[in-house]
Amino acid sequence: MESTPRGRQTAALSRCCVIAALATLSVAAQAQSAGVAPEAKQMLKASTDFLAGQQRFTADTRNTLEIVLKSGQKIEFNSTGHQFVQRPNKLRSERSGDLVEQVFVYDGKSLTLYQPQDKVYAQVAAPGTLEEMLDFAREKHDVVAPFGDLLFKNAYDILMDGVTEGIVVGKAMIEGVLCDHLAFRAPDLDWQIWIQEGAQPLPRRIVITTLDLPNAPQFAVTMTRWNLAPAFDAQTFTFTPQAGMTQIELLPR
Amino acid sequence: MSRTRNPKVFAFTMALPLLYLAGIAPDAPAGWTLLQEAHAVVGAPLTPVSAAGVARRTTRRAVVATSTTQAAAADTAAVQQQQAATAQQQAATAQQQAATAQQQAAVAARPPGAPAAGAVVTALPAGCKPETSNGVEYQNCGGVYYRAAFQGNNLVYVVQ
Repeated sequence: MESTPRGRQTAALSRCCVIAALATLSVAAQAQSAGVAPEAKQMLKASTDFLAGQQRFTADTRNTLEIVLKSGQKIEFNSTGHQFVQRPNKLRSERSGDLVEQVFVYDGKSLTLYQPQDKVYAQVAAPGTLEEMLDFAREKHDVVAPFGDLLFKNAYDILMDGVTEGIVVGKAMIEGVLCDHLAFRAPDLDWQIWIQEGAQPLPRRIVITTLDLPNAPQFAVTMTRWNLAPAFDAQTFTFTPQAGMTQIELLPR
Repeated sequence: MSRTRNPKVFAFTMALPLLYLAGIAPDAPAGWTLLQEAHAVVGAPLTPVSAAGVARRTTRRAVVATSTTQAAAADTAAVQQQQAATAQQQAATAQQQAATAQQQAAVAARPPGAPAAGAVVTALPAGCKPETSNGVEYQNCGGVYYRAAFQGNNLVYVVQ
């Protein structure tokens, strides 16, 4: 059927709109690949600043680590943990997983790593603040501490170093908690973070995808049961070897 | 606050098992036991558990396979890597070795195929017996002495 002039106008308008919409999408895509969205920066900064402002807290963690075998097959390892932090100089981290039960205690003076099942522990003198201790443990002993650099006051700068792209993906639910979902790209890795919506912008989940290893293995951690006013007792941040435990060396890096 | 550390060194690290299972001897049987035993693989880069870890990732310090069979299965390049890295460990553990020199002297001949002194393994062979010397506990495994230690987050055994 012959279209009316008005019909042709409408069709032309539709085509025009489609083209305009496509152009807009294209621009949006370019904008995404061109840098870090200000809202993404702002949400991340709000979260890291909020955590930096917490003097004491606990949280439970659930980790998933992918390992790629030579064949290319991925194997997944899981562990759960309990984290206890008191700024500026106390930390306890317990984890249990597929291969190990391990506890990490920092009392402001020394760092103890122990495995209850194996009845062994190692203890070294450590610097006087949490941040210094984390650097010390990693640099001198290759011990990577629970909570890592999320505990640093300038976690935002650390996280954003090298980041070339960042977007707000949208809203998401993590373990029943409404979150803002952010995604960032840096050379050789993609990472995502889910931040609790509202007045307490706590990190709820982080996923790191390593792009320069075969099959791009991921490490993910989900954080639950945040407690920003925990009660610690005298034993939380102290280590007393149990009977039958053997002290062993923590090898230098 | 100003910090002087490498800005690339940052970590999302939350209670992480530092496993590094990047390879398995091609002729080895598959299975969980093997994974456990082989979880320290020579020269394998870790799956980074931090965004910064990707940037700062270095080849894992060499770790000798947990049995002579596995060691034999390791490829030549890996063995060379082991030897290079083991040399450093040997220097670091020189003091320990001096302390155990007496023990070693008592062991007239190392069993054939025994791992080199200073080598690090992630599991002891079967049939080890604990022995204490100068307040330090060693494991006597068929005449080869091992001493437990943490290497990073991992419990390992250093050949004496």
